[in-house]
Amino acid sequence: MALVNGILLGGVLALLGFGMNLMFGVVKIIHMAYGQFVMLGVYLIYTFYTLLHFPLLLSCAVVVLVMAVVGLITQRFIVSPLLSSNRLNQLLALAGLILIVENFALFAWGADYITIQLNLPIIQFGDLFIRTSFLMGFIGALIVLGLLYLFLKKTYVGLAIRSATQDMEMAKLMGIKPASIYYITLALGSALTGVVASFFVPIYAVYPQFGGSFTVSAFIIVVLGGMGNLMGGFISAFIIGIVTSVVAVVTTTEIAQIVVLVLFIAIMIVRPQGLLGEVS
Amino acid sequence: MIRVENICSYYGEFQSLHDVSLEVKAGHTVIIVGSNGAGKTTILKSICGLVHPRSGAVYFEDKRIDQYHAHQLVDLGITMVPEGGRLFPKLTVDDNLKIGAYNKNARIHFHESLEKVHSLFPILKERAKQEAGLLSGGERQMVAIARSLMACPKLIMLDEPSLGLAPKVVSSVFEFIRRLKESNYSVLLVEQNANKALEVADYGYLIESGKLIFEGKKEDFDKNPFIKKAYLGL
Repeated sequence: MALVNGILLGGVLALLGFGMNLMFGVVKIIHMAYGQFVMLGVYLIYTFYTLLHFPLLLSCAVVVLVMAVVGLITQRFIVSPLLSSNRLNQLLALAGLILIVENFALFAWGADYITIQLNLPIIQFGDLFIRTSFLMGFIGALIVLGLLYLFLKKTYVGLAIRSATQDMEMAKLMGIKPASIYYITLALGSALTGVVASFFVPIYAVYPQFGGSFTVSAFIIVVLGGMGNLMGGFISAFIIGIVTSVVAVVTTTEIAQIVVLVLFIAIMIVRPQGLLGEVS
Repeated sequence: MIRVENICSYYGEFQSLHDVSLEVKAGHTVIIVGSNGAGKTTILKSICGLVHPRSGAVYFEDKRIDQYHAHQLVDLGITMVPEGGRLFPKLTVDDNLKIGAYNKNARIHFHESLEKVHSLFPILKERAKQEAGLLSGGERQMVAIARSLMACPKLIMLDEPSLGLAPKVVSSVFEFIRRLKESNYSVLLVEQNANKALEVADYGYLIESGKLIFEGKKEDFDKNPFIKKAYLGL
């Protein structure tokens, strides 16, 4: 049963992996504050729903848009000026975002754990007990992943993004404006954090340090799958989700996290390019 | 149609082009020959916006374009097929052609362009769903040229299209270029294979160490014994 819950969780983590892979593939940046963006999303949903009394679904939808805008702002003021700078500067600036977002959360919402009370039923399939929140998150994640797949495969903008991932200079020679692609990618990647936040609302309590472990998870998912490889990210998300869930049931959550990291290191030693990565 | 006047282009602090001037008249096929590292590719890059000359100017239909960005110049009708074709390796042949028609003008004429490209290169239909990275060298070059045609260009620039290809394939590449010429495109071709290149050209420029040292029609190249020996290997 922990296996089932692990799979369900993996589905949502796959969205995080996708977003991070997309941004790495196109803009060649590692979004160091990705988990913190998710945290911000949860806080914002709490604000709209609990404090401003918006309906829940509307709150989630609004937050997805707000996070997209946050992504655009990040692109404009943090990523864009550093595109030609060296890698270390880019990483440091995005890591700086971690501090900004976490301290902003501390300032705006305080240090206490915040939950949104939703009493969702537990569904029983024979011997299996599945939490509705997990199931909703999983199905939602699959739908979103499906839509993203269609977007990338069937639209001209999606095609432009795919070509920019493979060869940005040639993409320019096709008439693709790099700045537009960067903005779209950052907006999309950040909107995804809003989506993940929506799925996390009935599952987790949020607090200012909440983002940290998800940034690490997203990073592990991306590197484990092969950086920039979307299918690899998808597979490794499920592996991480399942391992975390199963080990946490048998031991504790903390040990589960250790096990995940050990597994990650082991795979990196044996296959440093990631499961589906290419040796460059 | 394209007028390059006294451009000096640099890569960082290294000066690659010294006061280079050339012209491509509408509908003509012009070639640039010279040995490795002479600056031939830099000229093409300076025209299509990947490199901005520090001095001098480039005019396209009397409009000054040397400081424009590459993606803007595609809209104006300038395309480049770089060395090796540089297809998007993980996209199919069809997707490569589709992205070739990304710019607004090209998208309107997408179906016409696709038909035209299929009639010029019939094998593209067979290979439509194949991943570009898996094609042979000659096929890749063909798709690369077809992709540039999808952009509805006025000027097509080709950087060493025969490089690394088997002799039989080289002949077919020059056959493609001849077909372009017959379809009234303006072509600017860079080649090390001076002999074959001069056969298709209306006019040629010889460049060495970033400087233009000779220009003329095929007969002018043939008449000059020094050039013939040094560059045409005769």
